[in-house]
Amino acid sequence: MDVRRRNNVTVTGPADAPVLVLAHGFGCDQNMWRLVVPALAERYRVVLFDYVGSGGSDLSAWSQERYSSLDGYAQDVTEVCEALDLERAVFVGHSVSAMTGVLAARAAPERIGALVMVAPSPRYIDDEGYRGGFTAEDIDELLASLEANYLGWSSAMAPLIMGNPDRPELGKELTNSFCATDPDIARVFARTTFLSDSRDDLKDVTVPTLVLECAQDVIAPREVGAHVHAAIPSSHLVTLDATGHCPQLSAPEATAQAILGFLESRL
Amino acid sequence: MCRTGGVPEPSGTGDEAAMDAAFTALLEDSAEELYESAPCGYLSTLMDGTIARINATLLNWLGLKREAVVGHRHFVDLLTVGGKLYHETHFAPLLRMQGELRGIALEMKTSHGGRLPVLVSSVIKHGSEGEPLLIRTTVFDASDRRAYEEELLRRRQDAERAHAEAERARAEAEQARRQAETDRERLADALAVLQKSLLPDSLPALPGLETAVYYHTASPDQLGGDFYDLFPIDGDRWAFFLGDVCGKGPQAAALTSLTRYTLRAAAHHDPEPDAALSTLNAVLHERYTAGGDPRYCTCLFGILEPGTDGRTTVRLGSGGHPPALLLRADGRAEFLPTPGGLLVGVLPTAPFATATTALAPGDTLLLYTDGLTEARTGPARDDLYGEEALLAFAAAHAPAAPHAVITALTELLEGFGDGPDDDTALLALGVPAPADPATNDPR
Amino acid sequence: MTPLNITHSDTAAGPVLHVTGELDHARATALRQRTERLALRPGQCLTLDLSGLEFCDSTGITALLAARQHALAAHADIVLAAVPPALLRVLTIVGLDQVFTLRPSGKPPVA
Repeated sequence: MDVRRRNNVTVTGPADAPVLVLAHGFGCDQNMWRLVVPALAERYRVVLFDYVGSGGSDLSAWSQERYSSLDGYAQDVTEVCEALDLERAVFVGHSVSAMTGVLAARAAPERIGALVMVAPSPRYIDDEGYRGGFTAEDIDELLASLEANYLGWSSAMAPLIMGNPDRPELGKELTNSFCATDPDIARVFARTTFLSDSRDDLKDVTVPTLVLECAQDVIAPREVGAHVHAAIPSSHLVTLDATGHCPQLSAPEATAQAILGFLESRL
Repeated sequence: MCRTGGVPEPSGTGDEAAMDAAFTALLEDSAEELYESAPCGYLSTLMDGTIARINATLLNWLGLKREAVVGHRHFVDLLTVGGKLYHETHFAPLLRMQGELRGIALEMKTSHGGRLPVLVSSVIKHGSEGEPLLIRTTVFDASDRRAYEEELLRRRQDAERAHAEAERARAEAEQARRQAETDRERLADALAVLQKSLLPDSLPALPGLETAVYYHTASPDQLGGDFYDLFPIDGDRWAFFLGDVCGKGPQAAALTSLTRYTLRAAAHHDPEPDAALSTLNAVLHERYTAGGDPRYCTCLFGILEPGTDGRTTVRLGSGGHPPALLLRADGRAEFLPTPGGLLVGVLPTAPFATATTALAPGDTLLLYTDGLTEARTGPARDDLYGEEALLAFAAAHAPAAPHAVITALTELLEGFGDGPDDDTALLALGVPAPADPATNDPR
Repeated sequence: MTPLNITHSDTAAGPVLHVTGELDHARATALRQRTERLALRPGQCLTLDLSGLEFCDSTGITALLAARQHALAAHADIVLAAVPPALLRVLTIVGLDQVFTLRPSGKPPVA
């Protein structure tokens, strides 16, 4: 099995530099990082990949059984690290991938030496004494939205993206990224993401960790960022003056600076 | 355009004047008015999503007051929770990456707690330096379209389910077919083994005697109701039998099996035809008829005892079977009558007829079942061949060695339309004629 | 092929079954069931009128033997009446002409 091809691995940056592994969350693929990669790749070796089932990955390698738990995604991470023979790399995970990184670092401590958790949430659904921001019914609504947009993506989105004459390269990537997402796979990823509860796993984090949250994020409210920070003694919390769940897109410079600052402080 | 009333204008300039007036009226429909009352919702947000401007149409759809929205609410605040999650995980990243987005299905909340399915298109307005300034968004009421899409989706899911169902049924049918095929093969193997137990593989070689057989089963499972056998009973005597059990198929085969092995055992105990047939009669009667299930067979049973003079003595007993036929070396053909012998197995004790003859060199004894004499002949296949015709046929062929007789009769049977339509067994036994061809065909 | 037809009538001596058509492997069961349902009293005589029988094979003969057994079990008698020549020939070959009482016509004997 060729993991590099399976997970659509791309590598940029100086060959001998310390390695950053950037992992996308639910909904998109490695293109999520496009605005921060140039700044990071100046001084770091940047590894990008798609989880099996997303973006340019090999969909034939997908199985409902494996990808119905976050451990399956964490296995993708450790396998990518093994394929590239990485040692003590910095794992940067967005959204649900922040938790995937926690699981991967525990499974392969020799591979992952630090964590950057971008807009993390160990649990999205409210619980006793914990506010995740959503109810179980809310998650059902998201699944319904996915269903409703399956037709939307295939009929309305494809012509738009294909017919973007100004930026054909972007159109091609986005077509791969969004239109190739099988609705059945997206449904499994959504359920795994939003129904997971990884709060107990946070205590196992021993590596230096940066928790990067946005000032206003409907998916990961600030209480959640505070919870993660409190649960990981070795963590440092940075709140970006950004709105939304994707600071790497809405505030790419600030996001890159925060990551670089964390890396500099470690060295 | 249709004008009403008014005095007919002179042609040409009058029409143009009217057109101008109409355009003037339209131009008074100010851009502001067009924005506020357009048949779709408009809103502009800052890059952080804060709503900077929203038109009356959308406010009206959502039941919101302008002052409560502008500067206070974010675009995602207008969405349902599912819509929010979808916006954050799909819509916003994609919009950021490509600068515009069209026709995304979302749901908005109304102030009355309702939901409004909408189709949203957004475009980012950039500043002179290319920096993103704000997001312009149009919102279309998609209630009808969403209902249609949901119906479409439901139909598609139904179709997929039906397809999966059909696929499963097809796979099951295929499995059943394979199983049936396997069962059929196993059954055929079992039948072949069973069939072998009913008849000898080949006739043993008898010193100083020639033998030949013909055997045909009419049933597709190859289980015939006719039977024959030939086997040694002591130093120089041989026993043989040929018969026909009632019925067809597996039940007839069971009866045939019982008959064959009973006769074989009886022959070793007491080979006299009357004794062997009596034993068989007692066994069959006890097994079937006495229990209210009458089954029987007809049978010729005989002993061959080669003499010192080149002649072989035949002692034959009949239980309700058609008489054997003799083809003599001198060209005569005759029945060896055994009248009065009863079907075997019908009565607790039964009379059996016996007869004795000697086979001289060149003589052949033919035993047959009624598949031969009751073979249907004639163009309509509604005549029976009959014993007289058989006797005439034999007379025409005598003298004939066993193989020659069987060959001739096989040709005869196969000449009856599509061949014999009933079980048929023929057994011929004869003392070979001297090698000297002096005894030519006397006819 | 002519279908098998069985009609039933009663006489002073006992029931008469008039059997017409072909009595072969496929149809012999019908005759067997019909005779087995007959209630016979001791001393009665069951008559099988075979004047209309066009064909009879070994399973047909089995049905005749079953009828005989049924009659004997009820201490009744059985008669085959108006046996067609072809069947008579077969019955003679197999020795059943000695087992069954045969009568030329379907009419019961004069009391």
